Amino acid sequence: MNNKHHMGLRTLNRVSNTAIYILLIIISVVWLIPFIFIVLQSFRVESTYQVGYVIPHQWGWQNYINLWNSDFKRWYLNTFIIALAAAVLVTVIQLCMSYTLSRFRFKLRGPLMRFMLILGMFPGMLTMIILYRVLSDLGLTQANAVPGLILVSVASSGMGYYVSKGFFDTIPKSLDEAARVDGATRAQVLYKIILPLSKPIVIYTILTAFMGPWGDYVFARYVAMGTSAGYNVAVGMYSWLTNDQIARMYTTFCAGGVIVAVPVTILFLCLQKYYVEGVTGGAVKG
Amino acid sequence: MASVKLTKVKKIYDNKVVAVHDFDLDIHDKEFVVFVGPSGCGKSTTLRMIAGLEDISEGTVEIDGEVVNDLQPKDRGIAMVFQNYALYPHMSVYDNIAFSLRLQKVPEDVVYERVTNAAEILGITEYLMRKPRALSGGQRQRVAIGRAMVRDSKVFLMDEPLSNLDAKLRNQMRAEIILLRQKLDTTFIYVTHDQTEAMTLGDRIVIMKDGYIMQVGTPTEVFEMPENLFVAEFIGAPKMNIIKTSLVREGDKYFVTPFGAKIPVTGEKGKKLLEKDVKSKDILLGVRPEHMVLGGEGQAAIGCTLVVNEMMGSEFHLHVDTADGTRLIVRVPTLDLDTAGRSALTAGQKLNVTFEGKAMHFFDPETEKNLLV
Repeated sequence: MNNKHHMGLRTLNRVSNTAIYILLIIISVVWLIPFIFIVLQSFRVESTYQVGYVIPHQWGWQNYINLWNSDFKRWYLNTFIIALAAAVLVTVIQLCMSYTLSRFRFKLRGPLMRFMLILGMFPGMLTMIILYRVLSDLGLTQANAVPGLILVSVASSGMGYYVSKGFFDTIPKSLDEAARVDGATRAQVLYKIILPLSKPIVIYTILTAFMGPWGDYVFARYVAMGTSAGYNVAVGMYSWLTNDQIARMYTTFCAGGVIVAVPVTILFLCLQKYYVEGVTGGAVKG
Repeated sequence: MASVKLTKVKKIYDNKVVAVHDFDLDIHDKEFVVFVGPSGCGKSTTLRMIAGLEDISEGTVEIDGEVVNDLQPKDRGIAMVFQNYALYPHMSVYDNIAFSLRLQKVPEDVVYERVTNAAEILGITEYLMRKPRALSGGQRQRVAIGRAMVRDSKVFLMDEPLSNLDAKLRNQMRAEIILLRQKLDTTFIYVTHDQTEAMTLGDRIVIMKDGYIMQVGTPTEVFEMPENLFVAEFIGAPKMNIIKTSLVREGDKYFVTPFGAKIPVTGEKGKKLLEKDVKSKDILLGVRPEHMVLGGEGQAAIGCTLVVNEMMGSEFHLHVDTADGTRLIVRVPTLDLDTAGRSALTAGQKLNVTFEGKAMHFFDPETEKNLLV
């Protein structure tokens, strides 16, 4: 009787697992279709405009060569510099902020945290006009859009402290105290004790800080104001999709899309273990 | 030389809660002082103020004659062992112990020598390359002690270091701390809530309650002459029996009259009462369970009913109720009873208990102070 019950449970498990896997496979395929589509189109060389089929009739590297000969290199470099600088600066600022809010008790700490929470609820777009004025006065628009966009990405980074503070809160305070008794300064406590214990959250912070500017379109377009030298990839490539260019540049656009996805994909593949730990660790433990 | 002097030390938290009131204490060089008291009595807070992990609201802390109020923990010449060990989880045992030395930029060969030395003393040499998570509680505590040892500090602070260990290991580590103290020969300040630890380890014990010092003294002093009711009940296990009764003076002789009995106060205690010229009055009488005995003749006998009999191995703890329902505990060594006597100790059994005059402690019911101090 007991054995029969056990068997029933096992069958039920197998059926539900199979159903879950089938569903997940369908979702993955649906998600992958646009990516596969764009990869295939990037290797199509028989025509440069949109066509009604997916598999290219003629394969080749011409689109990538076109890409190399266009302004794309400049845009790519711009984007890479912005994203890299933002990743480094945002990570440093955000982790210092989180450590401070997690470990120090100072006047107005609570009100400051609430203030930042409320401020974070306003859409960033609201500040666009005034930000443009500020950047324009500083001479950081159009051809100088790169430092301007770095500034925009980094300026409010301290406000994204929630996840990493939540993670730091789970590290016992007595570790800080032991290290301070052992002779460490506050800064040494942070980078010798807390950060090595917070690898997932550090990597999560780097990735999210990198991804923001990497995929930015609205701000980048606004700040560059039509000057190609100040474009990032998203803005630059979008300029190929105008009515007069699309027929000539469509397949090159697809090749650009593939190249843009490469560094991010590599980053995620290498760091996904930490990223998942960071997302769940910060949330659950915090 | 490493004396520690606390003068009028006070801790007031932001919410105006006072955790420690006017704490005055002189700790001599190479002394082992234990702060003991129930949770929330301020013992850990005081230790953390000495360590520099907690701001001092008022008063001064001096180490070796130097006021350290505004010094960072690392500049105070202290080492500390934490209750939860506080080992760095990402470092090996070796790196954990070497951490403070490396921060001081001690040459690596000296680091090696000091770490291996400490590991040898503590018997953890074979675990040096392991991470803390691969160690048992006792081994972790040894690593924590090792980390404090290599610093060659003037004062060794320990914050409930044995609380996370099981009872058997705790006894073993307690003995090891005594040995360690002999080897290190430095000043120790040790915090615990366990009076047994306090009694066995301390040269002097500081008993605290609600942020106040209740008594400072050697283990013998606090056990034999508790200054107040709190200390009397806190020190000793099972705790002292407290009986509401009267002290009666008849000429030069004193008696107590618990539960209708009449027991003379003899020995030192009687003499001291006379010296202090204490009059007849209501008192709280304290008698330790180990000073109560079964039996008693005539007026000295208190009739009781056995409620619970706890067999502890070497002794019985008998919980008995007197005629008016007061619960008393009597400790009877197992060897004092023959087989028939032991088997007679069942719930409901009527028996007589008594105690000697020299075992009594007298407390004022209002002030709860010892009448003889």
